[in-house]
Amino acid sequence: MRAFEFPDVEEDEIGRLGDDLSALGERFEAALASVDDGDALDALRLTFLGRNGEITALRRSIGTLPAAERPEAGKTINEAVARLEAQLERASSALTNRELAAQLDVAIDVTFPAPPARTGSIHPLRRTLEDACDYFQRRGFAVVLGDEIETEYYNFDALNIPADHPAREGFDTFYLANGKLLRPHTSPTQIRTMQQHPPPIAIVNPGKAYRRDAVDARHSYMFSQIEGLLVAPGIHLGHLKGMLTGLCRELFGPNQAVRFRPSFFPFTEPSAEVDTTCPGCGGSGKRGDAGCKTCGGSGWIEIGGSGMVHPDVLRECNYDPERVSGWAFGLGVERIAMVRYDVDDLRVFFENDPAVLAQLA
Amino acid sequence: MKLPIAWLRDYVDISLSSDEIAERLALLGFPVDAIERRPKLSGIVAGRLVKVEKHPNADRLSICTVGVAAGKPLTIVTAATNVAEGQTVPVATIGAKLVNLDIAPRAMRGVDSEGMLVSADEIGLEGAWFEDGILQLEPTVPPGTDFVKAYRLDDDVLDVEVTSNRVDAMSVVGLARELAAALGSVVRGPDTEVALTQGASQATTPDTSVTLESADCRRFVAQRFSNLTVRPSPFSMRLRLALAGQRPIDNLVDISNFVMLEIGQPLHFYDFDKLAERRLVVRDARPGEKMTTLDGEERTLDPSFLVIADGERAQCIAGLRGARDSEVSASTRELLLEAASFSGPRIRRMSLALGVRTDASTRHEKTLPLALGSLGASRAAHLLQREGATVAMPFAVGAPIEPPAPIRVSAQDAHRLLGMLVTGDEIQLALTGLGFSLERDGETFVATPPEWRNDLRIREDVIEEIGRVAGYDRIASAIPPVFDQAVSSAAYDGERRIARALAGVGYREAVTFALQPASVRETYERAGIPLPGEVVEVTNPLSEDQRYLRFSLLPALLGLVRRYEGDMPYRGFEIGHIFFGAPDPLETAAVAWVCAIRKVPDEPAWRDDGFLAFKSDSLAFARMLAGTDAVTVATRHGEFHPGKTASLSIHDEDVATIGAIDPRLLAAYGIQSAAYAGVMRLADLPAYRVPRFAERSKYPPVERDLALVVAPEIAAMDIESAVRAGADGVVASVRVFDEYRGPQVEAGKKSIAVRILLQRRDATLTDAEADGYIAAISASLQERCGAVLRS
Repeated sequence: MRAFEFPDVEEDEIGRLGDDLSALGERFEAALASVDDGDALDALRLTFLGRNGEITALRRSIGTLPAAERPEAGKTINEAVARLEAQLERASSALTNRELAAQLDVAIDVTFPAPPARTGSIHPLRRTLEDACDYFQRRGFAVVLGDEIETEYYNFDALNIPADHPAREGFDTFYLANGKLLRPHTSPTQIRTMQQHPPPIAIVNPGKAYRRDAVDARHSYMFSQIEGLLVAPGIHLGHLKGMLTGLCRELFGPNQAVRFRPSFFPFTEPSAEVDTTCPGCGGSGKRGDAGCKTCGGSGWIEIGGSGMVHPDVLRECNYDPERVSGWAFGLGVERIAMVRYDVDDLRVFFENDPAVLAQLA
Repeated sequence: MKLPIAWLRDYVDISLSSDEIAERLALLGFPVDAIERRPKLSGIVAGRLVKVEKHPNADRLSICTVGVAAGKPLTIVTAATNVAEGQTVPVATIGAKLVNLDIAPRAMRGVDSEGMLVSADEIGLEGAWFEDGILQLEPTVPPGTDFVKAYRLDDDVLDVEVTSNRVDAMSVVGLARELAAALGSVVRGPDTEVALTQGASQATTPDTSVTLESADCRRFVAQRFSNLTVRPSPFSMRLRLALAGQRPIDNLVDISNFVMLEIGQPLHFYDFDKLAERRLVVRDARPGEKMTTLDGEERTLDPSFLVIADGERAQCIAGLRGARDSEVSASTRELLLEAASFSGPRIRRMSLALGVRTDASTRHEKTLPLALGSLGASRAAHLLQREGATVAMPFAVGAPIEPPAPIRVSAQDAHRLLGMLVTGDEIQLALTGLGFSLERDGETFVATPPEWRNDLRIREDVIEEIGRVAGYDRIASAIPPVFDQAVSSAAYDGERRIARALAGVGYREAVTFALQPASVRETYERAGIPLPGEVVEVTNPLSEDQRYLRFSLLPALLGLVRRYEGDMPYRGFEIGHIFFGAPDPLETAAVAWVCAIRKVPDEPAWRDDGFLAFKSDSLAFARMLAGTDAVTVATRHGEFHPGKTASLSIHDEDVATIGAIDPRLLAAYGIQSAAYAGVMRLADLPAYRVPRFAERSKYPPVERDLALVVAPEIAAMDIESAVRAGADGVVASVRVFDEYRGPQVEAGKKSIAVRILLQRRDATLTDAEADGYIAAISASLQERCGAVLRS
């Protein structure tokens, strides 16, 4: 019948609360010591600090205290709770650290083969062609495409190769029943562009061309060219050398040089063959003790033909050769790709073996 | 052409190595394809056969006493049968090095031999082209002469490429002149001095005439020679010819070949006694006219052939082949020389028609400069006279030799085109070296090209000559300015975008040949696949495999699928032109992409997951191209399965067609897998439109799945649009995600599951609102698709 007794409990009651709390603290610490995972820690928290936990029970007992003592008792409990929570927090972060440390303490075999990613690729011939076109586009050139079926006029006559000109023989051309032909070079596109646009004009015109060649390691009846054309006032062969040197550095590496050798093309005058430092041997002509097979030991590889556009060609396109001058060049894409990828049989490019395409991507 | 350096040195002094000469020629515009290295020889001297005796102990051997110098003669035993006293022969002395042979003292059947008499093989010459036995040297060669040095036997032979505009340089003298000009040295022209014995300079001499009946013979120089003795040529001439790849025959044939190789003018010799009426006429062949050529073949001619005939019949096909009738032979005592210039194109057409190409015709077909004929005749006259012939006055018919027109050129002109500075003095030196005659006024020149050149017409031609000799290596690199221009790169940029987008979705680009055999078309026809139009034929294919232009990109890609089916899945694409239609073929730039995957086992006929996977690739590709999503609509395409084909539509334009490859086509190609393809014309490539930003709703969506029963012909697209129509503006997304046909659904119907995401842009959707929208959607589905909700 406590309710009817009025003992002097002040010291005793507070003192008992303190005892209870310290006993609770001991039990808590003992329990905490055996906790070794997050779940056990959560259970411990519930047992002591949960809604139905021991602390809650003690707090309820405050109601039995005289009103004057209740703040003091509350404060005591709160301090105890803070201590417990701090301990829980420390234990929790220790546990987390232990778990993280455990995660760090493993190693996989990173060399284990990964499943293949799904990848596509553009063809090495296109890549080569694009690299060249990109170079010229960055320097203000437009890239123009054209049809592969052409007329004799655009293919020959306008390029200063009249019927019966011996140079026509160099273009062993496929003909169609209607008298048109499969272009043996991409130059007709240059004529068409010049006839549509007055100077200045700066274009590259890549594309496929056809000549009656048997297919072997170095020849194909279908091949790709990149041609370039710059016509404007004051243009000379030095500008061509500068651009082609830059192009070769883009395609083959920073130490490329370009050499012009005189040659003959009906549509240019003066004309020049274009050689660049052999990337296979860096121009030394030797690979190890043997001669370089890429250049045959000369240290140079021939990549195409070029020259100053013939005045007759300019006039045919209504350009005035007294007012403007310009150059044109034509490069063989397969040849360049062969050197870049170190392929010694160009048929590799037309086999389209997915494994090879993946290798060269 | 083969250029023996030994021969080159007859006209120019050069102290460069073979490689340096080759490099120099290349930089002058005459690339050297190969350097034929001559064997290293030593210890060979000229010897005179003082005495030739039979070997006492061997029937087949002779003992020769050979005078080689001032000292004691050598005793040399030889098995050769062509030795005789008085001959001058090459002698390999003890220690000499020959091809694969070092000479050491040797006893032969009891006689010590102090060396060896030399035959052609042993010094690296073609044995069959020379004496059967010991080489016979000119009797004028003093005994003891160093054979290798005197005949320059250690000089290599260059294989030089000469461009088609430089027929004058298809000769030893022509190339010597080029080198001399570049090296600043002097070229010695060939000796053409001759003592004439009769006749006058006119078109007709008393006993012969030449008549031109065709303008395709521009000029014809004729000259008579008599008192001929046919015999082997001197060794020095035979050696030069052999090194140049020309087999020595006898002094007459050799002289004609020698002059052609030396100065570039082909000659033809007629046995004068065998010419009917002892005259020549240049005319078109008569229809059906027959002529037996030197090679013994009877040729039937027609008027497209230009012939040189005597009073009765054709004796020579101009520039190509002589007739056996009038061929010079051992019995020839008198000959008539022809040094002509014909129309090059005519000769080339004849050469192609006859299937004959000779050293002479390759020169004639470039239209020889008129001046070369006279030069060739006078050089031949000199050489024939050296062989003892009596030389008549030459005469020429046809066009006179006109001096080339002078060309004005200045140092500034050269600089303007070449971009390199060349001084007036350099120009003078270069052009003089090449044979120009010059008038100079400061830095400006009036340059008259040499008469043996026919490729120099305009200022630019002369500038090239200046640049060549001065050296293109002096051209300094420069970067041109960027010019404003209106030319568009759109087509190229489009191809580039397509290639990159397809590569981005996992397809590998292929490049295949555009010419195909007839079998491609036949395969389509047999499989019942329609062709897009008339297949385009090449009239002059190299082989039947390359007779037709491709009418589609798919055959080649299907060939790759077939070939690489083991590497499944195969994903490839090609961008290229296709051709069809007659008489004027249509050329279309196109792209095709193909995916081949394993067939799904037991897949019901009404579904094709492979198609969906391929469609997914194609939509991703289209999205990359257009910046917006494409819509698929059922359509038809000849090469695709009629029930598994869709168009990809962007901004309401059909841009591409995708589908499962027609199974008949797969069967025809022997393809086991399931294969799908997309095709697009590059002209239909959609423009990329930059997508516009649409803010996502901040309010949570409500997701509802509906199960519907509909007629089988109701497409997913119909259902999706019915859903959107039912709750316009609230349907954030709608997606049909399952289809079922079978016993669980009433016959003739299919079951469709659709997932709908409802979302408001202005507030959170309540359940009650969502129910209302779903009811509206259900009504719309019922009304538009006849759909019944499954419980």
